[in-house]
Amino acid sequence: MKPAAFEYVVAASPGEAVAALASYDGDARILAGGQSLVPMLNMRLLRPAAVVDVNRIDGLGDIEEDEGAVRVGALARYAAIEFSPVVAARLPLVAEAVTYVGDRQVRNRGTLGGSLAQADPSGEMPLVALALGATVSALGPDGERRVPAAELFLGPYQTSLEPDEMITEVEFPAVPGAVGALVEHVRRHGDFAVLAVAAVGVADGDGRWASVRIALAGVGPHPFVAEEASAMLSGSALEPEAVRAAGEACAAAGDPSSDVRASAEYRRHLVPIYVERALERLKAGSAA
Amino acid sequence: MSRTLEAPESVATGWIGASAPRLEDERLLRGLGRFVDDVELPGMLHMAVGRCPYPHARIAEVDVREAQEIPGVEAILLGDEVMRRTEPITVLRPLPDVPTVPFHAMAKDRALFEGQPVVSVVATDRYVAEDALGAIAVDYDPLPHVVDVESALQPDAPVLHPELGTNLLVANPRGKGDVDAAFARAEVVVGDRFTIGRVTGLPMEGRAVVARYTPGVRALDVWSSTQLPHLVRMQLAHSLRMPETTIRIMAYDVGGGFGLKLGLYPEEILACLHSMDLGRPVKWIEDRGEHFRSTTHGRQAVHRIELAADRDGRILGMRNTYLVDAGAYNSPFGPPMLSSLMFTGPYRVPDGSVERRVVLTNKTPVGAYRGYGQPESNLVREVLVDRVAREVGLDPVEIRRRNLLHPNDLPWKSVGGATYDSGDYPAALELALARIGYDEFRATQPSSKDDGRHVGIGVACFVEMTGYPGSAFLGKHRARYGAFESVTIRLNRAGGADLYTGVSPFGQGTETSFAQIAAHAIGIDPADVVVHAGDTVGTPYNTGSFASRTTIAGAGAIAAAAREIRGKAIRIAAHLLGVEPSRLEIADGVVRATGDPMVRLSLGEVATEAFFGHRLPEGEDPGIEATAYFDPPANTFGYGTAAAIVEVDPRTGEFRVERFVMAHDCGTRVNPKLVDGQLHGGLAQGFGAGFFEELVYDPDTGQLLNGTMVDYLMPTAADLPEFELEHLEVPSAVTAFGVRGVGEAGTIPPAAAVINAICDALWPLPVRISRLPVTAEAVWRAIEGAGGEAHAS
Amino acid sequence: MNVRVTVNGEAHERDVEPRRLLVDFLRHDLGLHGTHVGCEQGVCGMCTVLFDGEALKSCLMLAPQADGHEITTVESLAPGDDLHPLQEAFRQEHGLQCGYCTPAFLLAALAIERRRQRLEGEELRAELAGTLCRCTGYQHVVAAVERYFRERAEAAVP
Repeated sequence: MKPAAFEYVVAASPGEAVAALASYDGDARILAGGQSLVPMLNMRLLRPAAVVDVNRIDGLGDIEEDEGAVRVGALARYAAIEFSPVVAARLPLVAEAVTYVGDRQVRNRGTLGGSLAQADPSGEMPLVALALGATVSALGPDGERRVPAAELFLGPYQTSLEPDEMITEVEFPAVPGAVGALVEHVRRHGDFAVLAVAAVGVADGDGRWASVRIALAGVGPHPFVAEEASAMLSGSALEPEAVRAAGEACAAAGDPSSDVRASAEYRRHLVPIYVERALERLKAGSAA
Repeated sequence: MSRTLEAPESVATGWIGASAPRLEDERLLRGLGRFVDDVELPGMLHMAVGRCPYPHARIAEVDVREAQEIPGVEAILLGDEVMRRTEPITVLRPLPDVPTVPFHAMAKDRALFEGQPVVSVVATDRYVAEDALGAIAVDYDPLPHVVDVESALQPDAPVLHPELGTNLLVANPRGKGDVDAAFARAEVVVGDRFTIGRVTGLPMEGRAVVARYTPGVRALDVWSSTQLPHLVRMQLAHSLRMPETTIRIMAYDVGGGFGLKLGLYPEEILACLHSMDLGRPVKWIEDRGEHFRSTTHGRQAVHRIELAADRDGRILGMRNTYLVDAGAYNSPFGPPMLSSLMFTGPYRVPDGSVERRVVLTNKTPVGAYRGYGQPESNLVREVLVDRVAREVGLDPVEIRRRNLLHPNDLPWKSVGGATYDSGDYPAALELALARIGYDEFRATQPSSKDDGRHVGIGVACFVEMTGYPGSAFLGKHRARYGAFESVTIRLNRAGGADLYTGVSPFGQGTETSFAQIAAHAIGIDPADVVVHAGDTVGTPYNTGSFASRTTIAGAGAIAAAAREIRGKAIRIAAHLLGVEPSRLEIADGVVRATGDPMVRLSLGEVATEAFFGHRLPEGEDPGIEATAYFDPPANTFGYGTAAAIVEVDPRTGEFRVERFVMAHDCGTRVNPKLVDGQLHGGLAQGFGAGFFEELVYDPDTGQLLNGTMVDYLMPTAADLPEFELEHLEVPSAVTAFGVRGVGEAGTIPPAAAVINAICDALWPLPVRISRLPVTAEAVWRAIEGAGGEAHAS
Repeated sequence: MNVRVTVNGEAHERDVEPRRLLVDFLRHDLGLHGTHVGCEQGVCGMCTVLFDGEALKSCLMLAPQADGHEITTVESLAPGDDLHPLQEAFRQEHGLQCGYCTPAFLLAALAIERRRQRLEGEELRAELAGTLCRCTGYQHVVAAVERYFRERAEAAVP
């Protein structure tokens, strides 16, 4: 299972990478972690004319705090995120979500930018980017633009990025007092989630939650924020009735498919249960 | 040939029973194993194989012109030529009363399964060979297909092999007693239909071959990742129409077999043809995509089974009819063979009937996979035994106590036709129960339910056929191999021994266990025994490693050869020392007079004398070696009980195995640590097939949907529990050293034990689980089917 | 294109196609057969090597990507006659059967050690989940790694 031939370009900067993409007229791929790209090349499911290696771009993987917000470079490896003190302090949900991705070897190479560009319908990184309201910076031949995560994912493995654009950075906004929780159902350790639910909220100290956001993955063509359920829970104390109603709203918002891992029916059945579990963990986390 | 046996020795004498670290580990730990892809030869070329992507298709045209122009492409073979130049692959274990459908190394006009070879290319490297495949245009005309075993029996199903007129290859009924009467008088009858998913053994090393033909000497050297070098040699000679004497098969290190590497495959034939044509070595390494589509699959079956019992839970009779999904052709080892033989398990079942129907479908041929039908029959029976228990109001353990055969019932001829030799099946049950704390669990279970937790306990008992009851038995079944093992042992001048065996090493630890047995039998240290394995040159003809037979038959051969060598060593030493042979013994590498340690010679000195031949006794030939064959006179049977504690979430069907215990008897354990390793490995595959793995086919296109490592869910280290093992050692009376086979045991009981625990956790909701793999979704559906989670609380 | 890579402390330079997988480069261009190929899909972990000290799957890396980097393969553990204590632990615990996955587990364990983690039980199993084994059912592999970590701690080697 060997790749078909391609040209190999090493980019020294994001600008170079983007110029290379443009020069191949849509028939070149960014090689970052390679954990999704290279298997496709090996199986000859993808046969690009060129591969643009961005692994040598200095600073592209930096993780920085910026007045409470956290800016994570696109080339930040999952492992770097997993062990980053900044992420642990500011974005514990992201640090936790990363441990669900693949395995140690995959996490040593795979990148945040690559994960978002891959747009797996059950992907944990797309899920938490949505749940945390992240914004993605994308560089193209015409310059940089900022894309809210909610506008990035269009369908299975489809983003709103142009073929000659590359993600350079992901910014997670500062949300004082925010806590998060992630739960997922998998068939095998490290596997793609059958479904995953992320809950992020800000408690106001007397048992009520000023804001809550619920996002789901694996139950639709792409991960999404359950807006109606989120609105329902904001201002509530996450009482059982509110939780149940939110679960039903999430189930209604989802559009799961059947695949080798699970049927649509089962996924739909799991939604309210996993929403409930996520919210329970959210409450428990804030009490700790 | 020696057929005499030593009386079973008590366990743990000398090297038998020692958990000696393995001799083969040194090279493997250093990364210096000799797997086929490690073979690098001057001028070597690389083969890639183009395969049919459809389950059934006419091959209208294959256009290779563009591929031929690619630099580095040396040769291309098509089906027409391959069929002319070769014979179909010999089926080693034919199904009784079944015409063999010829399976050639390449399809010509029609391909009958996704993955069947259609073209082969040889090039300077694999990358270029795959480029060439990409440039070959094959015009396929998809034909109606059938990928479901029950649909294949419908009158309107496409018939795979028109000459047969049907997809039903054979129906083999067997049984004993008046089953109808047993069912008529039964107070309880429980039955169900079980579907068992198709899986693949998935060794970490796929198949591989290097073929090197040397003109002039006309020698064909073949490195193959195989479990049976001598048999592959026989098959290859037949298919290539060449004398066996020109062929050498070498399998020095094999990265896992599990029954998938039992026999010749098309790619070995193709690599040989290419090598003969080009006069250069040709290598083919199976990639994982090919593995999922062209290496034999395992297990798939549909069982209809009924148990008849009286009010006291005594089983009066069993009926079992099952369909085996064989795929598109008979593979060398067929589809599984032992479900019928072992269908009544370790119980006293007086009347029973079982019928196997082997059905062809447009899928990869099914072959032997560890367990060979025994996991399937164990599953369907043990799950039903629990349901009978519920019907009559008995604890699932109590019903087993009432039905298990007792030691003095044995030998027992089952209605399936197996004669269980000896063993203590109830003791294995009690041992498992004690280890898992069955009574304590039952005592605390009600309070778990009060806490809203659904925790259950389940057991499964099994008896397992290991080895074969002699070559004559195989002859009756027209097998193309015998049941014996053979070794040549040669003492060397360093005082150790060289042991030559045709068995190839693929993880079973034969180099070590054979060294232990030989050391024990001769009187030396295993570190001084060098085992030369897996090469047909220099090793006596043997059968191969499968059917949990290697230690059984190998031990017999080693014991016989060692006896000859000891005898000769003593005769020579007696002559040199000037004492009577009866006064001498051999221990620790020394021949010495019993009671007089000053009268001694080292075995090295004896071997040197034999080598030079200067001072041998009258009539004694030089040299000190022996070749021995051992044909087991009878089967021996392993047995045991598995027990599991499982917690279930009734809302989602998610379940977690909290504890898993297996009590097991494989007779004398030559190397206890190796035995544990075999049990763990089998259990892991049992868990895999039970709860994780399944090859899934698209109902419309018939194509494999999850033929990748990402989508075929083999368990990782984080998915399996700790396996707790308990051992009994009732020595077998029919083998050397009292050994019983152990390689497959772990695959047999785990699925049933866990399913029974899940059902117990959800009781009194009468959940019925009758499909493998059991996933959370499957449990959820079973809960819904039984009335829903509200009733489970 | 030209690739210069240090493998087990030794510098190598070769000319390769961009599409040459790192695992093929190590095995066939450099003759280091200890790293194995199991799937080329990035799942089984047979091809695991250390890349600048971190475990990765070499079937998912192109050889040119390794230019200027340091690779560690199983051949580095025991350059002389004696086995590395980790290898000895595997031998004592019967942590290998066919041996095909063994180089990968050895390197995975060393990578854990390099991170100054001493994992055991379920945490260790999760960390090792990127390498598959079909023979052992993992139990003796885990026991071997735990034994090695325990022995290292007892020897108080920093």
